[in-house]
Amino acid sequence: MLIQQLVNGLTLGAVYTLLALSFSLVMGILGILNLAIAELFMIGGYLGFTLIQAGFPLPVAVLAGMTGAAVIAIVIEKVGYQPLRDAPLVTPMLSTLGFSIILQNIATNIWGSDPLQLPIYGDQYTLGPVNIGEMQLLVLGATVVLVALVAYIVQKTPMGRALRAVAENREVARILGVSADRLTMLAFILSGSLAGVAGVLIALHYGAITPYLGVEIGLKAIAVMVIGGTRQIWGALVAGPLIGIAEVLTVAYGGSQVRDFVVYGFMILILLLRPQGLLGGARSDQGQRV
Amino acid sequence: MLTIKGLEVRYGAITAVRGVDLEIKKGEIVALLGANGAGKSTIARSIAGLLPFQGEIAFEGEKLTPGTAEKNLRRGIALVPEGRGILARMTVHENLLMGIYTRPDKAEAMADVGRMLERFPILGKRRDGLASLLSGGEQQMLAIGRALLSKPKLLLLDEPSLGLAPLMTDTLFKMIAQFRDEGLTVLLVEQKARQTLKIVDRAYLLETGRVVTSGTAEALINDPTVSDAFLGGTH
Repeated sequence: MLIQQLVNGLTLGAVYTLLALSFSLVMGILGILNLAIAELFMIGGYLGFTLIQAGFPLPVAVLAGMTGAAVIAIVIEKVGYQPLRDAPLVTPMLSTLGFSIILQNIATNIWGSDPLQLPIYGDQYTLGPVNIGEMQLLVLGATVVLVALVAYIVQKTPMGRALRAVAENREVARILGVSADRLTMLAFILSGSLAGVAGVLIALHYGAITPYLGVEIGLKAIAVMVIGGTRQIWGALVAGPLIGIAEVLTVAYGGSQVRDFVVYGFMILILLLRPQGLLGGARSDQGQRV
Repeated sequence: MLTIKGLEVRYGAITAVRGVDLEIKKGEIVALLGANGAGKSTIARSIAGLLPFQGEIAFEGEKLTPGTAEKNLRRGIALVPEGRGILARMTVHENLLMGIYTRPDKAEAMADVGRMLERFPILGKRRDGLASLLSGGEQQMLAIGRALLSKPKLLLLDEPSLGLAPLMTDTLFKMIAQFRDEGLTVLLVEQKARQTLKIVDRAYLLETGRVVTSGTAEALINDPTVSDAFLGGTH
């Protein structure tokens, strides 16, 4: 029973990790919380869900969720962020909040506010006491691959270095020849793609989706980002599973009425006691906080 | 190589540079001298493409559009900004790699990074350490090394001696003087007028956004009015 809960918690945590990474890509570069990421995740989920219902194979559904979310991310950058770039940080954040509500509204109008249901996608395997679905394995595998890919891009490639340069000092990045505007757009696209993939995977894993999926899971991903450390990619990798497992165990042994209390309580504790996050190192290599 | 005509730069209601004309020829080391707020850095930052300006800046015969820093670097203008502009959250090596970001000849550029680490042994020793852990002088070397890696034609140095110990400043000035032999053209923004005039070909003296006087280093050193106003009396 406990092992089963751990596996379920790990799956949930993997999705939190992907979304937290999506948030922190934009947060790290621009210092703003793109609140619409939660809805990109939800829209990605719907797109994937719809294609699976229409009989398309899984890779097509994932690609569609990813592309759809990335395209919306481009619109958000162009309309909601770019013109407000020089305003105080809270201004573009409010504009992403506006986008978030509009996207939720669009989803409600297209797909309705009742949950869409699918039979659980993929086979189920039994390993001793543990039941694990094909989708669950896919969520875990995709998370590991995507996190590794993002970490590689950010840490080892010229493009990733340029992203980090813009994040640290836009002006210095520019005099080194980095087109800060293009890199900003790139951060939005990468972040949107990740959110879209996460949306498709979790929607299929649950076999159900509502327009409120983004709010439920997206806000928790923000908590995961804070707990892991906003500037540390590895932070989300540790904090995601931690929160996922904590949440699942809380529901199993404490009841679902206290689960949000645990997650957000933990976030507030971290903000008070260790604002750089669990994995945040010395202050000198840290950027601004949330 | 660089021609500036009637340059005006405003920060809101304040006019920092008022009608400056300036010229730098290929292979020259030219200084902009003056006190804080004279407009020296503003001129350097306008050339680099970081500021909106009025008037005309032409580099190798081509007019520069204000605020196009990314393009100006590709044209061959590199700025070492005031305060060095080190990327503190990156390692020394990563900072140097940012110097070759725009280089198309990747293999040769990587070899240049290796050579830069040899040219500044202290950077070689701290290759994988965070740039923030370097001393002020080492950070200045890193900033200059990084700028050189972009293979600039014109190097803009904005108060490189600021905050450095006297010994370090000497080393730095010797190094800048050597750039002449490498065929590099340099615009050096400085407050330390006396020391600067020893290594530059020509200088412009600025006061509240205007060029007060200009000339060869030798002429300026021997000009009694200049000596009084900028070099602190007798020398």
